Amino acid sequence: MRRPRTGVGRLLGKAVLAFAGFMAVFPLLWTALNSLKNNVDIITRVPRVVFTPTLANISYILGRDSVLTGLYNSVVACGVAVLVGVVLGLPAAYAVARYPNRWAGDIQFFVLSLRFLPPVAVAIPLMVIWLQVGLYDTLAALIVTYSLLTISVIMWLAIPAFQAVPKEVEEAAFVDGYGAYSVFWRIALPVAARSLAGAVAFSFVLVWNEFLIALMLSSSNAKTLPIVASELSQQGMNVPWGILNASVVLLSLPPLLFLGVLSGFLNSVFRQKKT
Amino acid sequence: MSAIVCSHVDKSYGATSVIRDLNLSIEEHEFVVFLGPSGCGKSTLLRMLAGLEDISGGEISIGGTVVNDLDPGDRGVAMVFQNYALYPHMTIFDNIAFGLKRQNVPKAEIRQRVGAVSTTLGLDPYLDRKPAELSGGQQQRVAIARAMIKTPKVFLFDEPLSNLDAKLRNHMRVEIARLHQSLNTTTVYVTHDQLEAMTLADRIVLLRDGRIEQIGSPAEIYERPGNLFVAGFIGTPNMNFIDVTIGRDGDAWTLTNAGTVFTISGERFRLQQGERAVLGIRPPDLVAASPGASGNLLEGTADLIEFHGNDALVTFCLGGKEISALVPSRACPAIRADVRYGFDESSLHLFDAQSGMSLRRQ
Ligand SMILES: Nc1ncnc2c1ncn2[C@@H]1O[C@H](COP(=O)(O)OP(=O)(O)OP(=O)(O)O)[C@@H](O)[C@H]1O
Ligand SMILES: [Mg+2]
Repeated sequence: MRRPRTGVGRLLGKAVLAFAGFMAVFPLLWTALNSLKNNVDIITRVPRVVFTPTLANISYILGRDSVLTGLYNSVVACGVAVLVGVVLGLPAAYAVARYPNRWAGDIQFFVLSLRFLPPVAVAIPLMVIWLQVGLYDTLAALIVTYSLLTISVIMWLAIPAFQAVPKEVEEAAFVDGYGAYSVFWRIALPVAARSLAGAVAFSFVLVWNEFLIALMLSSSNAKTLPIVASELSQQGMNVPWGILNASVVLLSLPPLLFLGVLSGFLNSVFRQKKT
Repeated sequence: MSAIVCSHVDKSYGATSVIRDLNLSIEEHEFVVFLGPSGCGKSTLLRMLAGLEDISGGEISIGGTVVNDLDPGDRGVAMVFQNYALYPHMTIFDNIAFGLKRQNVPKAEIRQRVGAVSTTLGLDPYLDRKPAELSGGQQQRVAIARAMIKTPKVFLFDEPLSNLDAKLRNHMRVEIARLHQSLNTTTVYVTHDQLEAMTLADRIVLLRDGRIEQIGSPAEIYERPGNLFVAGFIGTPNMNFIDVTIGRDGDAWTLTNAGTVFTISGERFRLQQGERAVLGIRPPDLVAASPGASGNLLEGTADLIEFHGNDALVTFCLGGKEISALVPSRACPAIRADVRYGFDESSLHLFDAQSGMSLRRQ
């Protein structure tokens, strides 16, 4: 039964939505705002909305070698790991989804278990391994470790995405004369692209925000941005709030950019489809 | 030369056997319909022809070549799927052209051939659209266009019309019939819709549990069902069955069921005294008997009357069994009225009670 929408119900619904939206966005906005404030403007009893903006925090952040190194490490480690995840994870997921054998179930469970173990349980053995191999505190170790994460997350999300591609559509391509690899490239990938892009974005965000493993695997050279940012807050009683906020903004920008680019790409794909 | 030959074809999934020792040969230009109840293996057999399922045993050849180990694309077949299976990310043009692109047909020729096919099927206005922007009937036409353009040796259809509404289904059925008339390509068509099978087929292959029950033209299968299963499966409303015992009465034969005795000359049948048999009579073959009539009569009290338009289906009980007669609506009796129906011996079917095989002389 469809009930006619009453004005009150509608208003209430909108109010709830607006409230939820505010709860989600406000802290981010406030952080962005704070990154432009002097410390005096931040440590006031009454929050200040009107203030003289300063770029001091941001330029301080960008001027620090440790931050730049962290940024570089994060971008390289996460970028390469996501790339590896895409190159290895997607075909693997397709194989499991379309050509299931008696190992398929086990593979899926194993992939899942990597994500369900407490990160420490994974991080400590990894640390030992990398120490033994002699690659502790290198970007290479971080890339390999993160690749494990991205492969597992991408596989985990891509298997159902590939399974959702109607089997007959692929069979039609077989009857049209295409082989298994062409069907993967020309049918399965593009048809599942929307969900796959989501999987890739999710894996990127996951490793970009990753803290514990990065902490265990780096001492100085391979520190990623989250580690560097957290160190900024460990400077005693006199917390440099402005700088902290600026570093949070810096930390948040790449995932936002990544998602922005990705959703832009998706939108363009779909606009093409419509016209 | 036969277009398709299946010899001793088997298919099993693990321990479950789906197709058993199937032998079939389909002539060139023939329109063959696989008909049978759900789960009897129609789709499986079709997909084996297409190369989408591997063959567990036996041999399939298409156009004289054994295709057991050939990929679907190398068999010279084109297939239309039940749910259309269009490529959702491509335009209608690209959907139709996809197979040709694979064969490295020059661009200009592709454009020209797609144009010709889309004109035939009335798809010209939609070539730039995506499949999701088409109605079900239009999508199915695209699927047919995609199959047509490859000028295959064999068309394979797997219940292509079952996702369409009744009206569109009739329309598309006529279109497919026309298409076959003009292209004359060998066609194998799977359906569970009798009307489709009857109207489209040159020959019907009736399947049950992975075995062929009968092969024949629609008229043959309807008029001379080879066994009880075929007789019961084909024809709506369903054939009436009455268990009888065969007896002799002078030159004539008698068929006795409880109190009712039918007397027939029995020339068309191989009969044996004392044998138990099943008498079959189609509802339209029962005609209302005049009050004074004698001879072979089925009598009872009408307990259900279904109005079908021109005709009405009258159901009554005879010896504990429900019997239906299809009579003209204007001559339809009132409910609970006493009814008497007679039949002509030529419309009678007799089957062995044990084996279910027809007792008709060949
Ligand atoms: N992958 C499979 N594994 C095991 N059994 C299968 C598989 N595919 C089909 N079957 C079985 O094979 C039999 C035939 O299936 P098929 O799809 O050919 O039936 P059908 O005649 O096309 O029926 P319908 O009219 O419902 O489409 C069914 O009993 C089905 O359960
Ligand atoms: Mg089927």
